[in-house]
Amino acid sequence: MLEKPDKLVRYDPGMYRERFTFFFWVILVAVCLLVLRLWYLQIIKGEDLLKRSENNRIRIREVKAMRGIIMDSRGVVLVENRPSFDVVIFPEDVKDLKGLVEKLEALYQKVNLTFPMDYDTILENRRPFTPLRVDRNVSREKLALIETHSLELPGVGIDVMPVREYYYGEIMAHVIGYIGEVSRDDLERDKAYKSGDLIGKFGLEKALDSFIRGKAGGEQVEVNVIGKKVKTLGRVEPSQGYRVVLSLDAQVQKAAWTALEGKAGAVVALDPRDGSILALVSRPGFDPNLFNRGISTDLWEKLSSNPLHPMENRAIAGQYPPGSTYKLIVAAAALEEGIITPETAFNCPGHFEMGTRTFRCWRKQGHGRVSLHRAIVESCDVYFYNVGKLLGVDPLAQYAQAFGFGTRTGVALVGERRGLIPTREWKLTRFGVPWQPGETISLSIGQGYNTVTPLQLANAYAAAANNGEYFTPRIVKRVETDDGEIIEEYRPEKKAVLPVSQENIQLLKKALWGVVNEAGGTGGQARVAGRDVAGKTGTAQVIGMADGDDGSSYPYEYRDHALFVSFAPRDNPEIVVAVVVEHAGHGGSVAAPVARKVLEAYFAGKPKQ
Amino acid sequence: MKIDRRLIFNFDWMLVLFIALIVCIGVLNLYSAGHGISGEPYLKQIRWVFLGLFVMVLTFAFDYRWIARYAYVVHALAIVLLIAVFAVGAVTKGSQRWINLGGFSMQPSEMVKITLILALAKYFNDHRIEGKYGIRQLVAPFLIVLVPFILVLKQPDLGTALMLMILFGSMVLFVGIRWRALLGLAAVGLLLIPLGWNFLAEYQKERVLTFIDPERDPLGAGYHIIQSIIAIGSGGIFGKGFMRGTQSQLKFLPEQQTDFVFSVFAEEWGFMGVLLVLVLMLSLILWGLKIAQHSRDYLGTLIAFGVTMLVFWGVFINVAMVLGILPVVGIPLPFFSYGGSSMVKMMVAMGLLMNVSMRRYVLQS
Repeated sequence: MLEKPDKLVRYDPGMYRERFTFFFWVILVAVCLLVLRLWYLQIIKGEDLLKRSENNRIRIREVKAMRGIIMDSRGVVLVENRPSFDVVIFPEDVKDLKGLVEKLEALYQKVNLTFPMDYDTILENRRPFTPLRVDRNVSREKLALIETHSLELPGVGIDVMPVREYYYGEIMAHVIGYIGEVSRDDLERDKAYKSGDLIGKFGLEKALDSFIRGKAGGEQVEVNVIGKKVKTLGRVEPSQGYRVVLSLDAQVQKAAWTALEGKAGAVVALDPRDGSILALVSRPGFDPNLFNRGISTDLWEKLSSNPLHPMENRAIAGQYPPGSTYKLIVAAAALEEGIITPETAFNCPGHFEMGTRTFRCWRKQGHGRVSLHRAIVESCDVYFYNVGKLLGVDPLAQYAQAFGFGTRTGVALVGERRGLIPTREWKLTRFGVPWQPGETISLSIGQGYNTVTPLQLANAYAAAANNGEYFTPRIVKRVETDDGEIIEEYRPEKKAVLPVSQENIQLLKKALWGVVNEAGGTGGQARVAGRDVAGKTGTAQVIGMADGDDGSSYPYEYRDHALFVSFAPRDNPEIVVAVVVEHAGHGGSVAAPVARKVLEAYFAGKPKQ
Repeated sequence: MKIDRRLIFNFDWMLVLFIALIVCIGVLNLYSAGHGISGEPYLKQIRWVFLGLFVMVLTFAFDYRWIARYAYVVHALAIVLLIAVFAVGAVTKGSQRWINLGGFSMQPSEMVKITLILALAKYFNDHRIEGKYGIRQLVAPFLIVLVPFILVLKQPDLGTALMLMILFGSMVLFVGIRWRALLGLAAVGLLLIPLGWNFLAEYQKERVLTFIDPERDPLGAGYHIIQSIIAIGSGGIFGKGFMRGTQSQLKFLPEQQTDFVFSVFAEEWGFMGVLLVLVLMLSLILWGLKIAQHSRDYLGTLIAFGVTMLVFWGVFINVAMVLGILPVVGIPLPFFSYGGSSMVKMMVAMGLLMNVSMRRYVLQS
């Protein structure tokens, strides 16, 4: 061992005692300071800070409720829920976003798919602690693809959302509607909505949203610092929305849809005894399943620019001239006003002169001398020109309104339109020009300013079929819980009684029966074997055409609308069917067969009387 | 080398006991703090402990007087490494602290704390005077600390730089300083504050400002300290239990294996556990003071005192920092924080303590 002696003084540790004492106290005070602070934090503030640590780790998350299912009157399920899977990226878990996107792109490429988002879009859209949906509503194949490669894809996950499965697709699209993500306006309107909710946007999904949407549940989850769920601590189950039972009959609806195949138009079938709508079809339609997760701009563009307006519900929003189907109302008005009796006859030479104008009958050679019954059966125009001339526009309008025209029927659907019943006053205020007598002549065969919706037409005929009493059309029967406990019941709501005597009603009904069943009747094609069908044809002109022209040489949009309204059985009507086929020609040849198919579907399997 | 039997006889088992207890608790705590992190930090830490033990034995195997001979050389070497850091060092989190030495990387700034103690001890031992030191006699030792201080500050590593100054200050206070000189140094220190401020990285400035006003940026710079206080406080009296600290296990606590490792312990073991650790640390520190006091010679006193201060200030500053009574300057908790350089440094320090302690009765030849 080595050492040289100390340079200055011999070592005496004792001489440093004071310095050691000084540092001893410095250390002791310092440690006491720490202990005091710990005492303050852990014992005095311990409870508060424990709460704050709980707030850190516990999050309350909403658990979306399933929407209620929708059934038809026979219990056929029309709409249910199914899970929809999204591919999501958790931005905080991704270290190398660019590499991850490349991996995903390569993975999609392998199965000949294109990854829908590029790196820049993802970079732009990502928000801290918010899972970013990079591919929505993926197929089972993609789902499997992502899940089998999950180890190579850190930060990529799958999120499940309940969406709607519309079993009847286009067939019921206009009635049932569709869902979509809540908009800013919706959020302001209804406090129950939360950002990101899927809510009813159209049709019954919208009208009954408060019943269908259910009540969201909650989940108490433990999360880590990046907000990822570690475990569930507690859960309040969401309650599914109420079940909606419609008055619709899926079978009749489907038949009506099929009968309109390749055509544009609408069919309404309802039960005249209580106003229940059995079918409400509008063609062309659209697939509501496409709207589930937000429709693509392309598809939306296509739908909204389609000249046939597939999104419009023609049954309640299509406004058509009623054509000869209006003769029922003209006849009823004239009988009640005493202008004609059933025996009053007019001669039909095939045309009618009024001042300088000539109004033609659809039958060029004329009907000869006809009274009311034959005039209806054969749909003689000249007879009704005479009646209309005697009746006048305002009394006719009064009766038309009594039949429910010119006002909304009040069906529980969004977007219903009024149609139009012109009066002298209306013309003066609307155009500033007085009513022309010639206009009344057109009106008496359902041409001119007056327009009606298919639903109004059906309801007007339901009034006659039900001997004068009619109802507000009803499409929802009841809203109930899963166990069948009734939440809301929509009972038949009597709307009005026609100001028409029973005698006259029976007379008219008989004539309508003749339209379908008598020789020379225009509605023969609506006959259903073994059922007593009554009805009335109508051909509504869009523009005036030359004599005997069937319109096939005209451009589509100038061709006549074909109409047919019917009810059956004649003596105790259970169903009214109104058919409008746009730009398709004659009511008797085009619309009546459609009505027949609907009636057949309705009566299929029902015992004959 | 012939082993003196007295060395074995005087082996400081008490010191070993304190170190062993503290290191064991530290590794156990790291097991929890680093749970779920790839590579299981505690396993690496155990390797560092064994490397540290080896270096510790090496440190007390040679007489400290012999080691002190090379104090300046070693200190100069450490300074060279500090300079080398700027040339070849790796940048992590905006500062350049690491250097790669044949396969493993280390922080020369940790090493320089030890060499500074040795260099200052040698200087004050070699330049003993009657009475207290004046400003002129302190110029040379001040240069010994100033060079590494500036280099470390430049990295920038505020915590270590301050630690170097604090060690210097402690030793100067111990050897005795005239009041005038003390005031002078304090004045220089005050002047250095704005200078040092400019050396700091933006995030460090933010931390200091946050300490002055914690609500300044609760989600940014203030986040660390708020989460740490929540973690510690929520531990209460008995803690949430081992591996059950929600703040740490769910990673709300930042830097929880390094600077904020004490918060993990406080959350899981509560006031009682923390008290135990602080008592152990205090025992070790006071035991170090006792060793310094009973050293065979002045050099031993200075070395033992220096390393004791290293432990004391390390513990105090780190704990005060995580408790929110000092700004977050990034000083690891001795024996607890994850990190090889820090662990080896502490083991070397303990080796020096043991060195002085076991040679307290060895007479001069």
